[in-house]
Amino acid sequence: MTPMVELDNVTRRFGDTAAVREASARLERGEFLTILGPSGCGKTTLLRMIAGFDRPSAGRILINGQAIDAVPPFRRSIGMVFQRLALFPHMTAAENVAYPLKMRRFDPAEIPERVERYLELVRLKGFGSRRPHEMSGGQQQRVAIARALSFSPDLLLLDEPLSALDRKLREEMQLEFRRIQQELGVTTINVTHDQREALVMSDRVVVMDAGRIQQADTPAAVYRQPSNRFVASFIGMTTVFPGMVAEAPEGIGEIIVGDVRLPARLPAGGLAPGTAVDCGLRAEQVRVVAPGAPRPETTIGGLVERRIFEGDRLVYEVRVPPLGNLTLMVFDHDPATHAEHEVGARVLLGWNARDLFVFPKETTENATRQETGPAS
Amino acid sequence: MTADAPRPPAPAHRLPLRWRVMDRIEAVAAALWPAAFRRATPWAFLAPALLLVGILLIGLGYVISDSLHELNPATYRLREEYSLGNYAAFLDRPVYLLVLWRSLLAAVLVTAITLVFAFPYAYVMVRTRSGALRKLLLVSLFLPFFIGQVVRAYGWLIILGKQGLINQALEGLGLPAATLIYTYPAVIFGLVQYMLPFAVLMLAPALTAIHEEVELASESLGADWLRTFRHIVIPMAKPGLVGASVVVFTLTLTDFAMPEILGGGTNDFIASTIYDMFFQLSNPGLASALAAVLVAVGSLIVALVFRVAGTGTLGLRSGS
Ligand SMILES: Nc1ncnc2c1ncn2[C@@H]1O[C@H](COP(=O)(O)OP(=O)(O)OP(=O)(O)O)[C@@H](O)[C@H]1O
Ligand SMILES: [Mg+2]
Repeated sequence: MTPMVELDNVTRRFGDTAAVREASARLERGEFLTILGPSGCGKTTLLRMIAGFDRPSAGRILINGQAIDAVPPFRRSIGMVFQRLALFPHMTAAENVAYPLKMRRFDPAEIPERVERYLELVRLKGFGSRRPHEMSGGQQQRVAIARALSFSPDLLLLDEPLSALDRKLREEMQLEFRRIQQELGVTTINVTHDQREALVMSDRVVVMDAGRIQQADTPAAVYRQPSNRFVASFIGMTTVFPGMVAEAPEGIGEIIVGDVRLPARLPAGGLAPGTAVDCGLRAEQVRVVAPGAPRPETTIGGLVERRIFEGDRLVYEVRVPPLGNLTLMVFDHDPATHAEHEVGARVLLGWNARDLFVFPKETTENATRQETGPAS
Repeated sequence: MTADAPRPPAPAHRLPLRWRVMDRIEAVAAALWPAAFRRATPWAFLAPALLLVGILLIGLGYVISDSLHELNPATYRLREEYSLGNYAAFLDRPVYLLVLWRSLLAAVLVTAITLVFAFPYAYVMVRTRSGALRKLLLVSLFLPFFIGQVVRAYGWLIILGKQGLINQALEGLGLPAATLIYTYPAVIFGLVQYMLPFAVLMLAPALTAIHEEVELASESLGADWLRTFRHIVIPMAKPGLVGASVVVFTLTLTDFAMPEILGGGTNDFIASTIYDMFFQLSNPGLASALAAVLVAVGSLIVALVFRVAGTGTLGLRSGS
């Protein structure tokens, strides 16, 4: 089956900066794909090109196997929910939802029933006669989704429509939206810089940085097997530090960090001993090992330098002298049964060898990236 | 330790001079205008505007009162007794009705034509991505303001006149000269050209308020640009359209210079007639009656527009 959307080396330049560089990706029918990346990485630019509001400087976009350069937006079967929703303020919710049906020449007799059905789908039955300004943010949100879906588009595009909502509502809407998407089976591209949203909602996640696609994979693979240092550090709270390959069979090898050798997962293909590498260790995968508790594969002692209470967890910054005085971030998720460690206390840290990521040192172009992503 | 004796608290660090001055001013203001008066503050700020409107209303009162006294041709004074004679004269002489009709028609035509030209102009000015084009459009908009109506009308005389540039060009081509001025269309033309900047300036903010994403949304929902324009842009620009219509309509209805200069006395508007009545025919009674009719007709039409469009369109909360 031809993929729903295919990006073939798509580049979009603005002057001498490239907002999107050589992006290639495929989206299968019925799939929910999320484009995840920091602000300004080119997510909106990519989405606008797929929607037809903008054209690639180079490369091709195929929808249903057909080049769509010459097809104007109003002839494409694409529903889009915008960053700022873009509801029509002079129309009621029902009129907003009916708008695409009228513009696309649906049978007028069928329209009211369809409007009713889609308002119901987004749980807004009875809100049809309200104007957007008479509705809450979450309700407006849902009108925008109903409007983009009511004409049964082949493809649905979402440009961070949830970003303006407060966290609780956002998490509710994420699940709600996933339900609707699965109910209708509509192929969807969602754009976000919220890693949680990407992991929760998607079948597949495309991680972008500086206009380039860094990794395209399932949420679990993106989280567990990041393909490079950026992906590892953008998703989760990750401490990145330099090391050197000591022994390098494929799979678990050994790296030298500071004065010690640590077992670590080496990238596929292996690396030659002596290669300088970047290592990454997620805060959520490092544990404070209680005395007498079963030990993970790697353990090492350190000194608590900072302790931050975040409600559902404690965050420690622990200095580890043997690792060249490296400071590791550690999440402790169950403060109730664990002792709370004071600043200055000695603790034993532990993690499993496969959770220590190793990436070849990157070229200068990629080396200036941020070290840690936003806290999840 | 030497500091055994209790010391006064260390003097607070000196605040910047500007802050201290402002604090003084606030203290003085608080003394002069105690908190009890606070509720009156908004009214105090409104006072100048209210005063101005009040004076206008007094003037209008005088006009209406004058309009109720007929001229005594013997003394060239208004008679003491009240009468509706001036209004009867207005209705009696078809020339006054004709002039009023001509002014109203011009106001409607000029409003319609101006909006048709001003809308795309304002739209391009607001939406263009080219800073240079936006600046060019803005400068071309403001330049005529500096020139003034009378000078501009004379400019048109030079171009359109009997021996004007256009007729010279026609002559050069061996074509017969055309009558381009002292006609109704010439007056309309001059007025449209004069009103365009006002309309654009009223429309631009309304169009700026329409986010581009709304138009893109409409397109992605299946509307081509024409239908997007009709169903989205025009309705959303309604406040600007109503505002611009009212301004252009009232300015045209009461305009004096353009019909005088480009109409050359052949196409007087009601304002010219009122002027003549006051200063040429020295009949303040009839002049006042004409003015009162003008005010009444103008107010009625504007009220009607607001009634139909809703004052909400001007950003005012509607009472409902
Ligand atoms: N019309 C434009 N002209 C010039 N540069 C642009 C234009 N549109 C986008 N850019 C640049 O392209 C880059 C990518 O922009 P884009 O809007 O795609 O980011 P984004 O990933 O959607 O970010 P955010 O998460 O903040 O919305 C940015 O550096 C931006 O400054
Ligand atoms: Mg964006």
